[in-house]
This record gives sequence, structure tokens and C-alpha cells, in this order.
Amino acid sequence: MIEAQQLAVTFNAGTPMETPAMRGIDLTIPEGEFVTVIGSNGAGKSTFLNALAGELKPDSGHILIDNQDVTNWPTAKRAGLVARVFQDPLGGSCASLSIEENLALAHARGKRRGFGASVSNNLHEEFRTHIARLNLGLENRLGDRMELLSGGQRQAVSLLMSALQPMKILLLDEHTAALDPKTAAFVLELTREIVEERQLTTLMVTHSMRQALDVGHRTVMLHEGRVVLDVKGDERKGLGVEDLLHMFEKVRGSELDDDALLLS
Amino acid sequence: MSQIALLGAVEVGLLFALVALGVYLSFRVLQFPDLTVDGSFPLGAAVSASMIVAGFDPFLSSFVAALAGAAAGLVTAWLNVRLKILHLLASILTMIALYSINLRIMGRPNIALLGENTVFTPLEVLDMPTYVALPIALFGLVVVLKIALDWFLNSEIGLAMRATGENPRMARAQGIHTDRYILGGMALSNALVALAGALFAQSQGAADVTLGVGVIVVGLAAVIGGEAILSPRTVYRATLACVVGSILYRLAVAGALNADALGLKAQDLNLITAVLVALAMVLPGMRMPFKTKKGGVK
Amino acid sequence: MRSLKMRVGRLGAVAMAAAVSLGMAGSALAADVHIAVTQIVEHPALDAVRKGVKDVLAEAGYIEGKNLKWSFESAQGNAATAAQIAKKFAGDAPDVIVAIATPSAQTMVASTKSIPIVFSAVTDPVGAKLVKDPMKPGKNVTGVSDMTPIAAHMALVKRVVPNAKNVGVIFNPGEANSLTLIELIEAEAPKLGMGVVKAAAPRSGDVLAAARSLVGKVDAIYIPTDNTVVSAFEAVVKVGNEAGIPVLAGDTDSVKRGAVAAAGFNYYDVGRQTGEMVVNILKGAKAGDMAVETIAKTELYLNAKAAKAQGVSLPQDLLSEAKDVIR
Repeated sequence: MIEAQQLAVTFNAGTPMETPAMRGIDLTIPEGEFVTVIGSNGAGKSTFLNALAGELKPDSGHILIDNQDVTNWPTAKRAGLVARVFQDPLGGSCASLSIEENLALAHARGKRRGFGASVSNNLHEEFRTHIARLNLGLENRLGDRMELLSGGQRQAVSLLMSALQPMKILLLDEHTAALDPKTAAFVLELTREIVEERQLTTLMVTHSMRQALDVGHRTVMLHEGRVVLDVKGDERKGLGVEDLLHMFEKVRGSELDDDALLLS
Repeated sequence: MSQIALLGAVEVGLLFALVALGVYLSFRVLQFPDLTVDGSFPLGAAVSASMIVAGFDPFLSSFVAALAGAAAGLVTAWLNVRLKILHLLASILTMIALYSINLRIMGRPNIALLGENTVFTPLEVLDMPTYVALPIALFGLVVVLKIALDWFLNSEIGLAMRATGENPRMARAQGIHTDRYILGGMALSNALVALAGALFAQSQGAADVTLGVGVIVVGLAAVIGGEAILSPRTVYRATLACVVGSILYRLAVAGALNADALGLKAQDLNLITAVLVALAMVLPGMRMPFKTKKGGVK
Repeated sequence: MRSLKMRVGRLGAVAMAAAVSLGMAGSALAADVHIAVTQIVEHPALDAVRKGVKDVLAEAGYIEGKNLKWSFESAQGNAATAAQIAKKFAGDAPDVIVAIATPSAQTMVASTKSIPIVFSAVTDPVGAKLVKDPMKPGKNVTGVSDMTPIAAHMALVKRVVPNAKNVGVIFNPGEANSLTLIELIEAEAPKLGMGVVKAAAPRSGDVLAAARSLVGKVDAIYIPTDNTVVSAFEAVVKVGNEAGIPVLAGDTDSVKRGAVAAAGFNYYDVGRQTGEMVVNILKGAKAGDMAVETIAKTELYLNAKAAKAQGVSLPQDLLSEAKDVIR
């Protein structure tokens, strides 16, 4: 179970460019839940994800994973619990390393690294099986350098990498945003499959309200560093994109009155 | 070119192949522009020469020299990852400090090793002239170290080190404590360079405080030149490129020294080196030597 | 498409070139002497050494272009380059190799045990392990050391202050070169009937006190080429003037600054001295039989004004020998 308690962070505090990116985010994600997160630019989505991943230390608040306070844990320490797919298809892998070397890096996430060969024969076979499911023909190209793959292929592999080892939460940071529609759809479908297969606790940030509603169990809207909308179950089923847009505008219209922004 | 000059080029080329391997580790694998080598090369020479002259076993002395180099690399890396000093500046600080430290270690600007017991003394029992035995011995050493480095870079830890240099953010997301890998990698890199310095002093007859001048340029010329010829698609090719590049560079120097017809002299070497490195960087398919990613800092 | 005329023209040119080079090769083969010079870096002193060698060779009849092949390589301060130059020369097998400065000499000695090597401008050939016994080197190496000619300097002290019983020496014990000089002074001074009183000055700020400590104990003060003390030379001169103790120096620049006398040398003469050794080897001498030489020729610099201030009169014969006298 993932808990974010009163997370707050301000960038450039004390300067004219002061930005309160998170103003007290409270969110509890039970195990196995697939949460989508939307919000306008500057709402704090990426900041929130960075905080969860450990790349950012909040000014105040706590992050608990299975009741363990990881707020001060650096990214590398948290990596055994948190898996992540970045928005930039190039950001989630090493271009000059081969596909299987990248997979090997992900395979060792959360484990102690030793002096044994990074890609043993057994591992190679295991990777072939995994990557064959992508149906991209990459299983025969495991030795190819990552930079030879297209953006969509790289993102698909990144997704696969994130799921190679168990994690407490999977963070997807607008991971289809940089892809063309067809590839984006492919990666999204892949996401659904993988998450569903293993019942992964997932937090997916997206710009697409369609996606936000269609995918997962629960939708959260962030605005100006706070959670302003949190819907799931039947309530969520009934919502259409227009409804969300209404909510969006309402939120933008009245920035100070928190209560009015929350819908029952 | 005489046989001695040719073998001499191979000999010096093999010595500096170790430097190239060290520079490859820092510049290419860790993406850490490291000028420490201008200090750690003479550091290795200083430590081993001082110990040999004090009566210690030359093999032990060379090993301790490598450890000293590792310490120098650790200092530079520490300045970068803990104090957040820019990698290039951190390495310059260490390099400058090492000039004084090397003088202190030696006690004087030059320690002669001619006639002393060195790691190459056992070769004298062989029935072949030194100028043949030395390159052969060095060749054996370089092969062993190259294979060891290949094996290391293909291990889990080695792969993590390569990821640290290439994409530190992704590396951290995979649970790699990038700071530790930078510290370790820089230590290993400078240990290799210091070992090269120790062996250079023992084979050429003296450790001198001025030994370090231009080591980084020669190392880079070897790495980049080698890559131009061998396109480093795998770790094995990349390290081979370092060795080949270093030897070819020395052969080019020997060629320049012997090209009386061209009127080239040793004085022109700096220009020749610069042209070589520039050419190698301009050749198609070359990666840019310096990416803007910093090591150690998010 | 090349015209026939052009083709013939080109062929003719090639033939001419071949003939000329063959001709040149022909004359080059006749009893040529090959001298190879390796120098660590180019700078005025070392270049002067080289010129001295070449001039002496010319005077002995060995002229570049006629019967002398002269190879010169500078390592540009780079040790690896010096190593490759050494290998090249070892392979070229010249008649004599001249190695200028310690690093070039060391790597040259490491590269050949048979070709005669004459080093020059090496301050401590024994410390640099170029030779074991400077009196009889025994192998293929000999040369000229530019170590301060202490014997000549002590003799100069005695000439300026004929009744000197004790000479004071100020030095920085942290400078390795100074320690060597002190040893030489303590060996040479007694030969002239003088005792040595030492005063240590670890920092330039200590020089004044060190000089004062010598007052009443010495009849002359000698300042060796010690960086620390020379940098504070004015303090020594002050004491010398106040107490009437003549101050002599190991370096000639100090004469301008108030020393009475100094016997300096110039590197061109060192080069000439080296050249003489090379010529001897060309004439059949063995390098191993030739003792390492120290500075033979010195030039006298005097400061009459300082002499007056420090209470000595410079004898006429000394004044006439001098290269330069400050009045």
C-alpha cells in the first residue's frame, strides 16, 4: 500500500520564481489498484511522481510504502519498491547498451549486483521469452544496441523492463505522450495487459482525459499542487470526458475555495 | 625505421595502452572528463620508484603505486559526488595537488632507477635483448589486463557502471547507487594509469616530476584514434581499440621521428597529435567525446 | 589524358631526381660521422650546450653536410617522446650520442649499452645513476656535469679574503641540491685551510637571522645556488655591509645585488667541453675510460662597490681577470 501524506515542496523558495509545486498532497493507494492522474501543466503531476520515486525530497510530508517511511530514501534505495517508465522513450534505457543488457539492468533492480556475467545464457533465454510477447520481432535482436530501436519499441521495452522484477508501485509518467497515436495505443494496450496479469499497483500520469477514464480503477485530478478530484468505482463509470472538462474549468475558475472543487 | 625504434614504439605504446584503458573507463564508460591522470601517472612512478630505491620488492612497489592511483581517483570522484564540484574541475584540483604530493613522495624532482631491481629485471635471464623482451612482457600484461577489464565490464557490476555513465537517472531507477559506482570506476581508472606510470619509470630508468605533462592528451588520442579505426560496438572492441590506438599513435610518432624526408621533428609532435585527434573526431560515425551529462549529480 | 610532351617531361624529372639523390647518397656514404643529439626541451641554456658541441666538432673538421651527419631531436618536455627518441637513436647506431639534461640522458642510457653516450648539463650524474664511478665510468657513458664548481668557488673566497680562517654558508636544509653543495663545500674548504660554519634558513624570512648568526664567527660568507637564500639575498648583503664581512655567491646574478664576487659559467662553454669529449671518442677513446668532467671554465664577476662596503680590496690581478666589474 502506498501512502502519500501531506506532501509539499516549493521550488526556488525565497526568489521571484518561487513555485509551490506540491501543496499538501494526500493520497492512499491500496495494493493492486490502478490509478490514473490528470491535471493541467504545473499541477504537480511530475513533481508528485518524482517525489514518489525518490528523485525529489519533499519539504514536508511523508511517503509510506507498506507502512515503511521512505521519504528520505534516495532513488537507488527505493528502486526495489518503485518501478518507473519515463515519458522520454530515450530516458528509460541506455542507448549504447544492447536490448538484453538493458533488460539485465532492470532484472537486477532491487537485487545485489555481483561479479557474475550480466547476461548469462539462462537469462538470455528468459529475456527472449519475455520480449517475444511484444510481437515486434525483437527476440532475435537481443544483441542489438538500444539506439537502433524506434521510440515506440524503446518504450515498449522500457515497460517490459519495469515489470521484470516485483515492485510495490509502478509509476508511468505520461509514457505514451511522446509516441505517435498508433504506437501509443500499442503501448497502452501492453500496459493494460501487464498490469492486469500481475495485478500491479500502478500510478499512471496522463494528459489524455479519455485515457484517464478508460484505463484503471481510479482517477485523480491534481491542480496547483493538490488533489482536487478523486473518483473510482460506479461514480467514475458514469463520468464522460465532458464531465471531467466541466470539473476542470470549475477548478480553474475558483482557485481558492477547496471545498467547492470536490465533487461527491 | 630500425627494428629497435619499431619495437620501442610498441613498448611505449603498450605502456600507454594501460593509460588508454584507464582514460576509456573515465571518459567513455563513466562520462567523467578526468584530468587526474596527469597527476596519477607520475604518482605511480613516484611511489614505485621511492619504494624500490628504499629496498622494497618492485612488484609490491608497483602494486602499491596502483593503490595510490586508486586513492587519487577516489579523491576526484569524492569531490564530485559528495561536494558536487564539476567533474572536470574536481579532476584539475586533484591533479594540481598531486604535483606537490609527488614531489613530497620523491623528496627530489628525479629518482633514478637505472641499475635498480625492477619488475623487468627477471627478464634479463632470457636470452634476448631487452628491447625485445620488454615489449613481449608488456604485451602479455596488457592482454591479461584487457581481458580482465572486458570480463569486469560485462559483469553485473560492470554493466551497472556503464549505465551510470550513460544514463545516471535510469541507472538509479534500477537500484544502482551511482555515487558508489563513480567512486569505484574512478579508482579503477586511475589505478591503471598509476600502474602505467610505475612501469614506465621502471622501464625508462627514472621517475621524474614532469612525467605527467600531456598524459591525458595522449590517452585521449589513443582512445579516440582507436575508435576511429575499430568502431567500438562492444566492450571487447572498445578495449581493443584502446590498445591498438595507443600502439598506432606511438608508431606514428616513431614514423614522424624517422621521416627525415618530410622534415618532421619531435618538436612537431604536439601539432601532429592535435591533428590526429581532430581527424579522428571528424571521421563519420564518431560519437562526440563529451556529453553534457554530469556524473554524480542528478 | 596526358600529352606525350608532359609524359616525357615527367619521366625526365623523375630520372633527374633519381640521379641527384643517388649522387647525394654517394657522397653521403664516404666516411661520414654520425652524431645524434637528444635534448629534453629547448631552452637557451640547453640550446647553448648543443651549439658548443657542434662548434667544437666543426673546429675538429667534422662539418655538417660534408662529413658529419647531425641528428637532433627535442622531446618537448615529454618523457614518452624522450623514450622514443632514445629508441630511435639506439636503432640508428650513430658514432656518438649526446644526451642533454638528466631525463633524456636517463632514458638514453636505458636504451643502449653499446653506443657511446656523452651526457651534458646533468647536475648529479651519480645520483641520476648514469655512472657509478665518475672517475672511471666503465661502461659506455660519460659526460659533463654542470654541478657548481665548488672548488673554484672556494679558491675565489681565498683570493678575495686571503687570510680567511672560516667561511660561513647559509642554506635551506629542505633543498636537496643544497645538501649536496654543502657536502662539497665541507670537502673543499679545508683543503684551502678554511673551516666551514653552517647556518640554516628553512624559509626566506629566516635568512637575516641566519646571516646575523655568522657575525664574529666567519671571515667570509658564501651563498650557494639555494633558491630560498638567493631569493632573500639582500638580507645577507645587509649583514655583510654592516659587519664588514665579504659576501660571495655561487651565481653571477647575485653580484649585481651586492656580492663581492662570483665565478660563473656559461652553458656554451659546457657544450664546448662536451664537444671535446665527443671528438676524443671519435678519435678512438672509449667512453668508459673517460672520467666525468665538471665545469672547467669559469667567468669572474666582481662588484668593487660591494667590496668597499664589506671591507675588502680587490687585488689588481683579480680585477684584470674579471669578465665584468661593477664600480
